[in-house]
Amino acid sequence: MKNAPSPAHWLRWFDPRYRQPGTWGYILNRITAIGLTIYLVLHLGVLSTLAKGPGAYDSFITLVKSPGFMLGELLVVAGGIIHGTNGIRIVLNSFGVGVRDQKVILAILMALSIIGIAYFAYVMFLVD
Amino acid sequence: MAGMISKPKQHETVWLWLYKLLSGVVIVVLLSVHFVVNHLVAPGGLLTYADILRYYSNPIVPVMEIAFLVFAVTHSFVGMRSIFLDLNPSPRLIRFVDWALVFLGGGAIVYGTWLVLLIASGG
Repeated sequence: MKNAPSPAHWLRWFDPRYRQPGTWGYILNRITAIGLTIYLVLHLGVLSTLAKGPGAYDSFITLVKSPGFMLGELLVVAGGIIHGTNGIRIVLNSFGVGVRDQKVILAILMALSIIGIAYFAYVMFLVD
Repeated sequence: MAGMISKPKQHETVWLWLYKLLSGVVIVVLLSVHFVVNHLVAPGGLLTYADILRYYSNPIVPVMEIAFLVFAVTHSFVGMRSIFLDLNPSPRLIRFVDWALVFLGGGAIVYGTWLVLLIASGG
């Protein structure tokens, strides 16, 4: 394989060239997985402010209510929705459901994901 | 294209692969419930320390949060292992990474559970 990954060439793993279009779903799942794992670790870390009492936690919340953090939060929501919907397809395909139509299913799920992300963006930035 | 179907990798048992898939489904369900409860049942969200304490006084909440913590951490770490296996690492490196993931994942679960129980017991 022209861009087969190896520990020394791990960046190739994200390279969508020379791959089947359907493999983009696979790459997308991996990128969102890494993003969500980083978020999970940060999330658990910052929640230690809860152990420090009301003052520490409430001032932390004030900080993350700023637009920069909200944008980052929207990125997490987007990653979660994409990873979740794509994940459902992977589970179904793995048990033999919808294997033949998986490209169409991927396209539909990604369209639904975009709608979902737009909804969250609307609620986060325009309703509050 | 058969290559797109998820299947156990080399050095990944069928049980670990199955766990990754099923825990993913559990997370989708728990996260959906989380969003409905936190954003529709609790109007205005849970944005202050006092809100969180009140929310956690319902015994279902800490149970669900600990379940979510365990599934999220394990799914995430098993998934990171899958990505790492894609790099064709040596068995020695796999053993090292396995221990690191068990140590870090176990630590995250112990810490998270401690935090949930601390909040549930009133801060």
